[in-house]
Amino acid sequence: MSNAEDKKKGKLGEWLYKGLFEQVPFNIAVIDREFNIVEANKNFDSYFGKWKNKKCYEVYKKLDSPCVGCNAILTFQDGRVRVRDDTGIDQHGNESHYVVHIAPLRKSVRGKVDYIVEMSRDIVETKNLQMQYQLLFERVPCYVTIIDRNYKIVRANENFREKFGDVHGKQCYEVYKKRKNRCPNCPAAKTFKDGQVHHSNQVGVKKSGEKAHYMLTTSPLSRDIDNVPHVIEISVDITETKRLEREVIEAERLAAVGQTVAGLAHSIKNLLMGLEGGMYIVGRGLKANKKEMITEGWEMLERNLTKTTSLVRDFLSFAKGRLPELDMVDPNELVHEIIDLYGTIAETSGVRLIAKTKKTVKRAPLDRKGIHTCLTNLVSNAIDACQMSKRKGCEVVVGVDDKQGVLTFTVSDNGMGMDYDIKKKLFTTFFTTKGGQGTGLGLLTTRKIVKEHGGKITVDSSQIKGSCFKMSFPRKNLKSLFTHDSLVE
Amino acid sequence: MTMSKKVLIIDDEIDVVAYLRAVLEDHGFECLVARSAESGLEVIIEQRPDLICLDIMMPGESGISLYLKLCGNKSLCDIPVFFISGMVKEEEFDFRNLVPNRDIPRPRRYIEKPIDVLSFIRMVDKEIGSVRPSNEAITKAKHHE
Repeated sequence: MSNAEDKKKGKLGEWLYKGLFEQVPFNIAVIDREFNIVEANKNFDSYFGKWKNKKCYEVYKKLDSPCVGCNAILTFQDGRVRVRDDTGIDQHGNESHYVVHIAPLRKSVRGKVDYIVEMSRDIVETKNLQMQYQLLFERVPCYVTIIDRNYKIVRANENFREKFGDVHGKQCYEVYKKRKNRCPNCPAAKTFKDGQVHHSNQVGVKKSGEKAHYMLTTSPLSRDIDNVPHVIEISVDITETKRLEREVIEAERLAAVGQTVAGLAHSIKNLLMGLEGGMYIVGRGLKANKKEMITEGWEMLERNLTKTTSLVRDFLSFAKGRLPELDMVDPNELVHEIIDLYGTIAETSGVRLIAKTKKTVKRAPLDRKGIHTCLTNLVSNAIDACQMSKRKGCEVVVGVDDKQGVLTFTVSDNGMGMDYDIKKKLFTTFFTTKGGQGTGLGLLTTRKIVKEHGGKITVDSSQIKGSCFKMSFPRKNLKSLFTHDSLVE
Repeated sequence: MTMSKKVLIIDDEIDVVAYLRAVLEDHGFECLVARSAESGLEVIIEQRPDLICLDIMMPGESGISLYLKLCGNKSLCDIPVFFISGMVKEEEFDFRNLVPNRDIPRPRRYIEKPIDVLSFIRMVDKEIGSVRPSNEAITKAKHHE
């Protein structure tokens, strides 16, 4: 290699080092054994300010003497590279956070360390973000814990620590639920396994001993779903919401009881009126010694006693809170049973009763007695509506259909339909348009039974066309009501 | 000889009709009967009663609906009406809520079932006549209390 080439290469190296020294995105300073800054790049200059003839501690930290635990001294002693987080003061007097990389500079490989080079990089932004995340983690109005694969809590936020106590090094199930072993259906276990987010409602025990209802979300603390080292558990406390929910249900129950009592009192008053009337007329007949008057009064007493019996029976059937007793029932068969039952009554009332069954209707899990009661109520109402109507040739059609996963019973009539006012009151307790003949509980009981089956009842009625009541039962609801064991095919 | 006053009883319930009729007749009133609001209106037009005892909840047209028709008819609006119903007066019979506008006058009386014979007859008497309650009615009413 010629001299000229050597010179050229040397020049290139110089340029390279100079360029690197100035342009690398770090603050670089070279320090001698007396802590004097002997060289620094432009970045350093613009970050920490003037450095010529100054000690490193004066520039970095604005101190008069070397820092306690100075890392530069150690590197001067053992020649090893060191990295640490540090804080200082920048040229504007602001606190600065930086990562500093301290490396030895020596003439020979094993020679004495004459200088050290300190490469630092500002991390104020990162620190700020870290602080924000820390604040968010601590103050978010949820319980947040991070657990490792052994279900040990490695971090818990302020809110959680406050409600569940000191959790350091404890297992999550111990802290959340005061259990000695892992919970069944543990959502965190699922997240460890599949790396997915899971949601669940849980009930735990706070350090005060009171129950805590919370909605839990478990998420993997890793981007790699096949390897989840930690799971973050975030829960929202819904204890208060649950309490309010219970209060609302209780208030609704009390309101329903109030409404029922008022309705019952209404019916009883009508019965009393009939009974008192009967007594009055019997008394009048006895006084006047008129047998036909006594008979009239006596019949009134009998009628009102019968009504009392049916009111009590209907009320008990309405008030009875029971689960439907399910059996595999042929809906077509049920329709025919009702037609047989009401055939004579309809005929004497001059009403045609028609069954519309279909071969495509399959057996379904139903409470035979319950659905029988519903159909009985609807058919008896339909016949009454025909009788109240002035129209001739009235008919009642009882139909059943089974399509798109929904079993539907319909009872329609072309008798006296309902106006808006009546429709509005249809499913309210003790409402009747039949005067003393009805208790006002039939439709209410029907709706209750339909709801117990996971179905719904709708009505379409007009004073011109008549009424059509439809009870629809989605098969998936019927199916989910039972365990497979209880189904008898 | 004076003509006895005519009271029309409109109620779908046969026993209520029989009871009110017996009580009113015992106290010297003449009774007319209708079992629905529709037939009641026909009787009102034909016979023009001195007082109407009207039930509220009836199949078909309600008592309120008939009352509104009477209020809207110049020749019938002055016939006094007593509502007689099982509704609890304070809680259920909210008259202003049951009628469409405030111009509709309140009925002369609202009587809750079951009736108190003595006070019922007093009300009827005060409204349309001077018939004194019979001794037996007084005794019966006292017995009730």
